[in-house]
Amino acid sequence: MSEPLKSVARAALAIRRQFLRMHFGARSGHIGSGLSAIDILACLYGTWLRQHDQFILSKGHSASALYATLHHFGMLSDAELSAYYQDDAFLPAHPAPRGLSAISVATGSLGHGLPIAAGMAYGYSNLRATDSRVACLLSDGECNEGSTWEAALFASHHRLINLTVLIDANGIQAFGRTEEVLALEPFAKKWQAFGFEVRECNGHDYDALNAALAAPASDRPRCIIARTVKGKGVSFMENTVDWHYWPMNEAQYQQAISELDQCERELPA
Amino acid sequence: MRVDFVKAVETTLDRDADALFITGDLGFNALEAFVVKFGKRFINAGVAEQNMIGLAAGLALIGMRPWVYSIAPFVSYRCLEQIRNDVCLHRLPVRIVGNGGGYTYGIMGSSHHALEDLAVLKALPNMQLLFPCANDQVAAAVALMSELMGPSYLRLAVSAFNTERTPLSEHPVTLTRSYATRADRSKPGLTVIGAGHAVHVALRALASHGLDRENVDVFGIARFPFLLSEDSELMASVLSTKNVIFIEEHYAAGGMGESLKFALPPLSGFSLMSASYRPDQRYGSAAFHMKQDQLTPDALVSLVQACLRAS
Repeated sequence: MSEPLKSVARAALAIRRQFLRMHFGARSGHIGSGLSAIDILACLYGTWLRQHDQFILSKGHSASALYATLHHFGMLSDAELSAYYQDDAFLPAHPAPRGLSAISVATGSLGHGLPIAAGMAYGYSNLRATDSRVACLLSDGECNEGSTWEAALFASHHRLINLTVLIDANGIQAFGRTEEVLALEPFAKKWQAFGFEVRECNGHDYDALNAALAAPASDRPRCIIARTVKGKGVSFMENTVDWHYWPMNEAQYQQAISELDQCERELPA
Repeated sequence: MRVDFVKAVETTLDRDADALFITGDLGFNALEAFVVKFGKRFINAGVAEQNMIGLAAGLALIGMRPWVYSIAPFVSYRCLEQIRNDVCLHRLPVRIVGNGGGYTYGIMGSSHHALEDLAVLKALPNMQLLFPCANDQVAAAVALMSELMGPSYLRLAVSAFNTERTPLSEHPVTLTRSYATRADRSKPGLTVIGAGHAVHVALRALASHGLDRENVDVFGIARFPFLLSEDSELMASVLSTKNVIFIEEHYAAGGMGESLKFALPPLSGFSLMSASYRPDQRYGSAAFHMKQDQLTPDALVSLVQACLRAS
């Protein structure tokens, strides 16, 4: 692993710790889908996003993972982060509109992020003299939404090569496994058929994620299907529907942290 | 109204390099010139209203000021959540334009009628509604919208409006128009108010159904939220007659009449003429629907006479 990616790995671990601390403190759920997204977020903010790029978290239920990521990279203060899940603040379970300068778009209802991202990408490439890029992180369950595919048609039609769609494909949605609720496979072929350049990778492999993100732009918008594990990093949360919902008790939190400690000991020097 | 709208929005796009136009695949025989003239500032988003509003929000978030055009029911119902979450809650300058408000698409059928558009949109935070009374008010509404830094909705009517009548006055901010004033202020009178193009029921009644012989003030309103503290002529009339007949081409529930009644001080009378859905609903031209709902000059004159007799 290269030095920058070692740094991403360390960042992802720190973000997971912060994320679990926040959820334990707030007794809040949506833990599993945050854990599946953290490696993607760490890669995006650690290596790819520049000052003038845009990131949209279309899967708004992973807001706490984004808050922890922004905090790690210095874009959210300690004071701001401490307001997570609190009254009279700007950090609810799904991003608030007009709340934080580091988050330009409020989401939470699925299927909204990609149309907004496509609008930004169209504006940057056709109406503004800028090389700004737009990344949008979707859940796989979110690809049930027709508006996601409306936006995919648009992005492809207008050849929005400055648009990168990332999908946190953890295979589980709110009430069951994605393939049992409303099958998406062959998922990559669907995005290809909609005119995207598609890459699939292990969404917890920093080398693979970075290679997919760093690949040179083609003449099409691109889609990175990051195959992930819901609850990644905490053994008893991995790959279960339950941890879409439950908050942690004290024992569960301590076990989760001890697993992260073990992970840290195994990190490459 | 569409011709007037296209002309007015073209002026806006000429003046504002950050303004752009998005259509949901509608505007045949009206918007063709925009394709060439505005290039990348003209987008046909296809038949995809949810994406269209999301796009507009994304463009507005990076500093553009999009106009989004479709027919009124398509641009207000299908994409309501996008309007709420992406546009209104972010307070973005997205200008939504719905052609064919009320029954004006007539024989096209119920899918094309917009009788709840103002109801659903008026509840949204930061939203401003404009509903011009007549073709010659569309430019003023467009100019007003182009100055707003938040979301707005323009309700147009598909009609030639051969009952155009020069208003006696038009308020520069509220756009409220006065069309007729009472002959005798010492006698009981009535204030007739039409919401947007529904005022044409009253204008036709004035022109050829004898309403001009009754002791009435006639106004057309064109903007919500109301700015009643600015609307001195309208308020003077209402406070003097204490009796209002309100006409709207919209369902009563959630309509402008309901909101106006709530906003006004207690009156001795407030009668509502509005659209309604009936169990034996039939379909036909716009004129048929207006007649089916008793939204006619004759019905108005009868109601005026009944109200005046009772007062």
